[in-house]
Amino acid sequence: MEPQLSWYLALSAVLFTIGVAGVIIKRNVIAMFMCIELMLNAVNLTFVSFASFFQDVTGQLFVFIVMTVAAAEAAVGLGIIIAIFRNRESLDVDDASILKL
Amino acid sequence: MLALLFILFAGLAIGCALAVVAQRNPLYSAISLIGVFISLASLYVMLAAPFIAAVQVIVYAGAIMVLVIFVIMLLNVEHEDTRRTKIGFLLPAALVLAAVLIAEVAFILVSVDKASFPTSAASSIGSTASIGSQLFTSYLLPFEITSILLLMAIVGAMTLARRTKELSPNTRVIPGAQLLALNIVDPSKTLDDATAVETDTTEEAARLLGVNSSRDPSKRD
Repeated sequence: MEPQLSWYLALSAVLFTIGVAGVIIKRNVIAMFMCIELMLNAVNLTFVSFASFFQDVTGQLFVFIVMTVAAAEAAVGLGIIIAIFRNRESLDVDDASILKL
Repeated sequence: MLALLFILFAGLAIGCALAVVAQRNPLYSAISLIGVFISLASLYVMLAAPFIAAVQVIVYAGAIMVLVIFVIMLLNVEHEDTRRTKIGFLLPAALVLAAVLIAEVAFILVSVDKASFPTSAASSIGSTASIGSQLFTSYLLPFEITSILLLMAIVGAMTLARRTKELSPNTRVIPGAQLLALNIVDPSKTLDDATAVETDTTEEAARLLGVNSSRDPSKRD
């Protein structure tokens, strides 16, 4: 039995939901960051699945651009995390709840 | 055979994703996330996308996760504390929404079950040559915008990581003591006089420096 398109879509939905739950549950800002990466990967899996299903390379190009955005997000986001840690001495998001460093 | 491979890698991905959320140590979460990336790269190979699989391993599991682990090591993150907010009334809502999601996924699995992948000519779609030719012809504008985005990320990261200059060049920092500019103690003085004294209070510093403290010691809170 060959893998169907729906299997990949279901896997993507499960991974995305785990990522959403992680962002809601976790308090450590680095852990929340990693859960966001997990959600981006779930979306990438959907793109690649449909690209393979429709025999169209456009979906894989989208994945390429999503990866670039994720890399830029990692650079800027980790810079923000270091700036927060410098000012607050903590990585708990509840300690950074006022919009002022 | 392919179904077995899919079940293997999908189970690995879901298990590692659950470990990302369940672990309290961020370093263990990061290692589990690398497991998710590797198993997703294997699934990309099964989906005839070898270029994306290679980029997934190199960029995600390589560059991004090394950056994350570097920051975790640099900040010396301790374990996440276990205090919880009161979310008990949200638990029924979460269960209902989870049931809706499971029903949705089951509906997809049952109703779209006939949609299998086209088997013929699955080789040339995900190759590096086809991706490159599309990327530099039809999708040239998004590619260029991506380069601008990366440039902005570099400049933004440098701006965020730079320490702002808070002290005047003549200021000397005394470790463990309060640091005050001289014109705060006595507004008539300028910053040019940067004599350092080791004190614990502002009044003592004012007395040692021979200036009049602007604060009244009796009105301190």
